[in-house]
Amino acid sequence: MNNEEIKSVVQEKFLSSERVTAFLCDAKVLHPEWVKTDRLLAIVEYGDEKAVFCLHTSCYPPKSFTDLSIEIVLPIDNSFKCEIDNKPSDPEAILYLNLQSRNNKFKFEIQMTSRVDSFVDDLFRGIEAVSKVPTQPEFLWLKKYNGKSEDDIIKQTMVLPRTGVAHTQGPPPVAIRESLIKRKMSDKEMDYTFTKKFSIFCGTWNVNDKSPVISLKGWLSVDREPPDIYAVGFQELDLSKETFLFDQTFREDEWYNAVISNVDPRAKYVKVERVRLVGMMLIVLIKQKHMSHVRNVICDTVGTGIMGKMGNKGGVAIRFDLHNTSMCFVNSHLAAHVEEYERRNQDFRDICNRTRFIQPNQLPKSIKDHDQIYWLGDLNYRITELDPTSVKKMINENNFAPILEWDQLRQQHKNNHVFAGYTEGHITFKPTYKYDPGTDNWDSSEKNRAPAWCDRIFWKGENITQLGYRSHPALNISDHKPVSAIFTSSIKIIDEEKYRKVYEDVIKQLDKLENELIPQVKVDVTEIDFGTVRYLELQVRSITIKNTGKLPVEFEFIKKLDESSFCKDWLIVEPYKKCICADESCEIQLKVLINKTSACKMNAGTDKLYDILVLHLYGGKDIFITVNGTYQRSCFGCSIEVLVNLGMPIREVPVGKLIELESKRDQCVSNQSTYSIPKEIWFLVDHIYLHGLKEPNLFEQPGLHSEVLQIRDWLDSGSVDPIPGSIHSVAEALLLLLESTADPIIPYNLQSVCLRASANYLQCKQIVMELPEFRKNVFLYLCEFLQEALQHSAENGLDSKTLSTLFGAIFLRDNPSQTQEPQSRINKQVIDKKKAQFVYHFLVNDHSDLIFSR
Amino acid sequence: MAREFDHLFKLLIIGDSGVGKSCLLLRFADNTFSGSYITTIGVDFKIRTLEINGERIKLQIWDTAGQERFRTITSTYYRGTHGVIVVYDVTNGESFANVKRWLHEIEQNCDVVNKVLVGNKNDCPSRKVVVIEDAQRFANQMNIPLFETSAKENINVEEMFLTITKMVLRSKLEMKERQNVTSNETVHLKRGHKTKKKCC
Repeated sequence: MNNEEIKSVVQEKFLSSERVTAFLCDAKVLHPEWVKTDRLLAIVEYGDEKAVFCLHTSCYPPKSFTDLSIEIVLPIDNSFKCEIDNKPSDPEAILYLNLQSRNNKFKFEIQMTSRVDSFVDDLFRGIEAVSKVPTQPEFLWLKKYNGKSEDDIIKQTMVLPRTGVAHTQGPPPVAIRESLIKRKMSDKEMDYTFTKKFSIFCGTWNVNDKSPVISLKGWLSVDREPPDIYAVGFQELDLSKETFLFDQTFREDEWYNAVISNVDPRAKYVKVERVRLVGMMLIVLIKQKHMSHVRNVICDTVGTGIMGKMGNKGGVAIRFDLHNTSMCFVNSHLAAHVEEYERRNQDFRDICNRTRFIQPNQLPKSIKDHDQIYWLGDLNYRITELDPTSVKKMINENNFAPILEWDQLRQQHKNNHVFAGYTEGHITFKPTYKYDPGTDNWDSSEKNRAPAWCDRIFWKGENITQLGYRSHPALNISDHKPVSAIFTSSIKIIDEEKYRKVYEDVIKQLDKLENELIPQVKVDVTEIDFGTVRYLELQVRSITIKNTGKLPVEFEFIKKLDESSFCKDWLIVEPYKKCICADESCEIQLKVLINKTSACKMNAGTDKLYDILVLHLYGGKDIFITVNGTYQRSCFGCSIEVLVNLGMPIREVPVGKLIELESKRDQCVSNQSTYSIPKEIWFLVDHIYLHGLKEPNLFEQPGLHSEVLQIRDWLDSGSVDPIPGSIHSVAEALLLLLESTADPIIPYNLQSVCLRASANYLQCKQIVMELPEFRKNVFLYLCEFLQEALQHSAENGLDSKTLSTLFGAIFLRDNPSQTQEPQSRINKQVIDKKKAQFVYHFLVNDHSDLIFSR
Repeated sequence: MAREFDHLFKLLIIGDSGVGKSCLLLRFADNTFSGSYITTIGVDFKIRTLEINGERIKLQIWDTAGQERFRTITSTYYRGTHGVIVVYDVTNGESFANVKRWLHEIEQNCDVVNKVLVGNKNDCPSRKVVVIEDAQRFANQMNIPLFETSAKENINVEEMFLTITKMVLRSKLEMKERQNVTSNETVHLKRGHKTKKKCC
């Protein structure tokens, strides 16, 4: 069968509008409660919507769509996630596919074949398509597959009992690790268990509505050694209507006590459990010394009688764990009548399918989910094709073989119609049915029934040996004779020390797995040296973050404790937060720009070009990235009081000296060694005065950034060459220099006074008189210069309004620390107007009196 | 039923750069060792689950950068730590001398916390400069258990982590008990009051 044929079988499982786009065989579901058998995964497309189906196939390859049953449906929606891992020990051959959708998680183990690629490709195409659709798809078409469907087609195909169906609530996340531990421990069971032989007695007796008036010793206490476990089943304890209708009988205690008092007296026994349904009762006893190793005792009953439900026929079962072996005992009474063997087969299947051992917090177990199963009871299979007389004759001659040929149960068992996988011992005893009660005589009633081996014992499981299989004809009160079997069975016992070791290994393995899933990245550089950084000169470096982990990782540069921002204000990090897929990289740009704010701090020594950034990975580690550089100090960003003190170019001033001057700038007074205004301002103004007063668009046309930087270097190095650059660049440098001074020309505390006084020239003059000395000098010097410039307005196109607006904003600089209350646009316009008005006075009025008052 | 752990403890490994903090963690969490030295630039962690007296304990172990320039940043990671492992290198006297500073760092940044002192790289007697007598004297003085380990040769690593975990567990259980005792005492007081009344 080739892949296309399989695909067409899978396609038949779905409607023609639902197209199977890809499929995979040999996928194993890894789930603690599921048998690790092969599943088939299929991607099905309906319109724009896609879903992943996990199908169980009853034969491989599936020959028809009826061989397939849908177990899991995972819609590919926005919640859908797919992760692929390699099996560490065998990365080439085995893949682990983790699928998650709407809180349901499944892990599949997949053989590497050429089909895997196309399947995974299709899967990711589906995920990608969903991410592009703005609305969440509805997946209405999946409803019919989601368990609670009314759809007959689907119902028919749900042949398998679906334990742990996907779409019911999955286990809580915390249980996943727990389940993994359980699964791994059960995989390694051999490593930490040893076996010990236990002898197990199984007995069955149809007592035909009789009370225990005789001793049961001849049945229960005949073996050389007392057995470790007794499992004793009765049928037809009570045939009264009341028992049938109300399921109550005093016979229960009668027979229970009879068993208790007739078990082997050489050992002490305690009850594991007893269970009864109408006339069927099962009692399990164990030697007292073993009882502490018995756990999880649960029983269940199934009626298969009238209407297929009532308890006149059916089975009762007890399961428990003895040491590390799970055991199940079933006592059943199957349908009567010679010709009804098909009915009996059906009863057996019903008991198998309907028995459910429900444990708190665990998925229910059925009979087959046990290491050892012992099944006893009145199974009611008869002898056909032989006439009773010849049967009885052969029995008298102890010639059982020809009769057994015609035993229905042997025939049905041989053909796997019933008790498939179970074993029965060789029968060497006479048929146990039907006798005249109280005698060893065959039924003498009118019906004259043929003898039959109705009462039988089967077992299933490894390392079970039957030592004896016999009937006990001396117990003759019923029309059946009791039957018993004695087994010696290997029970797995945990070696505590080895268990600990294996357990620790498993835990370590899981820890390792968890550690491997912690986000991991590689950063190519963790120390970034920007070298020499100059004022207003942008510098860019980049680092590359590579996701070396197995999962997508989200990083973010985070704030250090007690800091308001994740980096200093002279640094820009882009992007500062992003998600990187596994094996992908992300380039991050770090840009340094020293502007006026940071320049002031650098000059004053309150900040330096050094920062440590914390690169945080969500759910993972932090990486420290060190940023370093040397700032070349400049006259830009110095205070006026410092500049007037500098008799040499700033580059020749020792750093310590500059810091000292900045820290004492408030106490600066004029003396012989100070200039009245900073020489840098004078150089620039003088240059414009000499060469540019007639330049059109003076102060309006921007300069060239590169020329401004050259002018900066010229000022800082005290070059003897002429000032480089155009007039416009010089004008811009002047404006920048005035803007960048550590303190504004009109101190912040006087600004509101200025604004209030802006309409009144006299008051404005008064304020200027009160300015700190050097700033007053700069103010008046510049106003004088601007008046001069206005003289040439015909050539340079200047007007007093424009100039006063421009310089108003420079002289009355907004306080950066008071920007918390956002000014309304109108309010800002009013303030800007007042600033201009303040300056305007000094551009149009003669204020030489102020200058001469010095 | 399903429980992932009964206790979650955060442990912190500190000490000078290059003493083998990351190697100790790698040995304990993954049982591996790499001879090539990669300095930790940042703060990393791994987990490991232990079972002590039937109690399942999940350890989250933080490995910190030892370099001087990161000290202020790494000290912010001390918060919420249950146990601190202070590591020095037995072949490097300076790293042992600096242990005091690290202990001071703990005092500055943590409340009550369990500590162990670890002399790592104890696998080459000829290069050993910090003798155990000196280290033990210092540890006794500070009342901290001392371990000489080798992450490389897997000597004493498991024991050391187990000890600090047990110390942390004991502290937690003692604290719980103390709380119980205080609540019991209040009950006793009330009872005492009653009997007094009867006497009178």
